[in-house]
Amino acid sequence: MLAMGEVHTGLLQNSGEISESTCRQVLGLMAGETVRVSRRPIPHALSPERLTGVDCALPSASRSRIRGVGTVVSRCAVTGGRVAQGSSYVRVVRSEADRRLPWSHYLSRPGVVEVLGKAKAADLAEGFVGDPAPGCLDMGAISGRFLDLVQASPLLDRRAPFRIPRTSLRWVAETGEPSIRFTLHTEQERTLRLTHPGPFTPAVVDLCEDLATHDWLLTSLLIIVERARIGATPGAQAVARLAPAIDHLLHLWMPAARVEEWLRPFWESLERQPGFTRQWRSLVDRVRDQIATSTLALLSAATEAGRR
Amino acid sequence: MLVFAISDKGGTGRSVTGTNIVYRHALQGNDVCYLDFDFGSPTAGAIFSVSAVARGAPENGLHEYLRGDCTQPRRVDVWAESDREALRTRPPGAGRLVLLPGTESGGELSAFTDEVVNRCAQLFGRLEEEFDLCMVDVSAGRSFTAELVLAATARLPAIPFRWLVFHRWTRQHIIAADGLVTGADGLLDVGARLGHDREDLHDRIRFVRTAVLEPDAAELVGLRDEQRAWLSACDGELRELARRHGVGRTAMLGKVPLDPVLQWREQLITDEDVLASKIANAETAAAFDELAKKIVDDSAWEGL
Ligand SMILES: Nc1ncnc2c1ncn2[C@@H]1O[C@H](COP(=O)(O)OP(=O)(O)OP(=O)(O)O)[C@@H](O)[C@H]1O
Ligand SMILES: [Mg+2]
Repeated sequence: MLAMGEVHTGLLQNSGEISESTCRQVLGLMAGETVRVSRRPIPHALSPERLTGVDCALPSASRSRIRGVGTVVSRCAVTGGRVAQGSSYVRVVRSEADRRLPWSHYLSRPGVVEVLGKAKAADLAEGFVGDPAPGCLDMGAISGRFLDLVQASPLLDRRAPFRIPRTSLRWVAETGEPSIRFTLHTEQERTLRLTHPGPFTPAVVDLCEDLATHDWLLTSLLIIVERARIGATPGAQAVARLAPAIDHLLHLWMPAARVEEWLRPFWESLERQPGFTRQWRSLVDRVRDQIATSTLALLSAATEAGRR
Repeated sequence: MLVFAISDKGGTGRSVTGTNIVYRHALQGNDVCYLDFDFGSPTAGAIFSVSAVARGAPENGLHEYLRGDCTQPRRVDVWAESDREALRTRPPGAGRLVLLPGTESGGELSAFTDEVVNRCAQLFGRLEEEFDLCMVDVSAGRSFTAELVLAATARLPAIPFRWLVFHRWTRQHIIAADGLVTGADGLLDVGARLGHDREDLHDRIRFVRTAVLEPDAAELVGLRDEQRAWLSACDGELRELARRHGVGRTAMLGKVPLDPVLQWREQLITDEDVLASKIANAETAAAFDELAKKIVDDSAWEGL
């Protein structure tokens, strides 16, 4: 019927970026299974997947009682040794039985939640991206806990260079005529509606995680630039506030790096509207200009002092 | 940074002083949050003038979160939701000011399980990622709440935390404040039992004197010489008593003068109260401002 998930993204709680080997240890949540690492164009490490069994109401826009049974897939990721994620998703399918089956049935279908009884895909999709109803399947809670797991690793020193909120991206993907809609809700909440050609594959989850990473980067840079109060505070002070962005964020922008070819057009469409990279570039330019002007001011002050 | 606000006795000015410190810290450009863990009487909403949560949140308050009845406690953006005109716009340069209210008629914490400690530690860990300062009103006296936060911080060894013990400037309060820290089943005893290092914990505790009337205060100008001499002698005795109880100058982070506005109403003292309407004393605002700086100034927290 459809797939849905939620990604939580935050700053890794460490003073500096962590190395590949540390990433492997931090993400090695399950002994015996390995962390997948890719190095180009940006280091990216993905934990083994874990399952959470669920038997609960599914969100529904019409507030119908829809029961789903199955397992949620969750995983953690670290990008650039600096950005941490907890991500969960399920594929929702109609159950062939009209009652709950033994757990072995559900365990043999990891990441699938079967709907018992009647349900419409559109009702579920709208329910999931809408206001979450209490008591329903809450993948945000699961993803949040997975992100906590990373952040609580004893290998991290918890001395992050700046304070910044996590963001959450709730997404729904269906098969059909291609379309994508990205919406900002509160300061920290985003939703994504995606219709893709062909059947669902985990590559869709990669796309959503990649979008979540970049939305978090953009959101965080906006916050840091706002905090710097360029123009309203002395140049040196503004630069000091911008410094952590330069040291820790600016090099991480790598849109669609881990997105499969057939899903790239979705990123490209978001680049046209709302224009992620455009906004990112203009912010980066602003940061660089501010630093250049205040370096110049410092230099000319030094020359002036030398002449005297 | 997590800061726990406690006092031995009720009504010492813990909530009013704590909220004003947090408010000043936000004005100084930091992102701050205030957690109302005084489950018996969650009144922080009233001090921030957010009527919707004046006596705690009707739902999704901290009490429910800790019990596991909701996955995220409610957050109130004070700059957006306060009923007070002077608080409703975020001043330029100020950081975020967020209140996590308790639950309306949630009741005192009467016991807690390992799961509750985990939820509490999880909450502290998440808030610390995002806020420069998280102040937790732990309520008065020896309580399960104090034990809970000691247990939670023992599980978060890498997260910095500090304690403020509020007390009034009287004999009883000075002795009680010391007892709360060093006495039987006090903070140090309970902390050590839950896995904290006693010495280290002791170094993280400072005292704050509330509603202090200095012998040379403007309020006392009309007094007779005999009365002033008597007050001065009392003050001297109290200072000696405080020193003997480890509550003296070195262990004190700061003091807040008695303020006419706070005597009448629990509220935030804005610059407008001082400069425009002139109802509050400038010294009071300055004391909160100073405390808001000292709370993160490591030199004020070097080992005793
Ligand atoms: N600096 C001050 N000057 C005058 N009055 C003050 C001052 N600080 C606090 N008060 C007043 O003292 C009373 C108690 O303060 P507050 O409610 O903050 O205490 P508390 O320790 O939080 O009490 P409780 O234990 O009941 O929660 C309030 O009426 C408050 O306005
Ligand atoms: Mg109080």
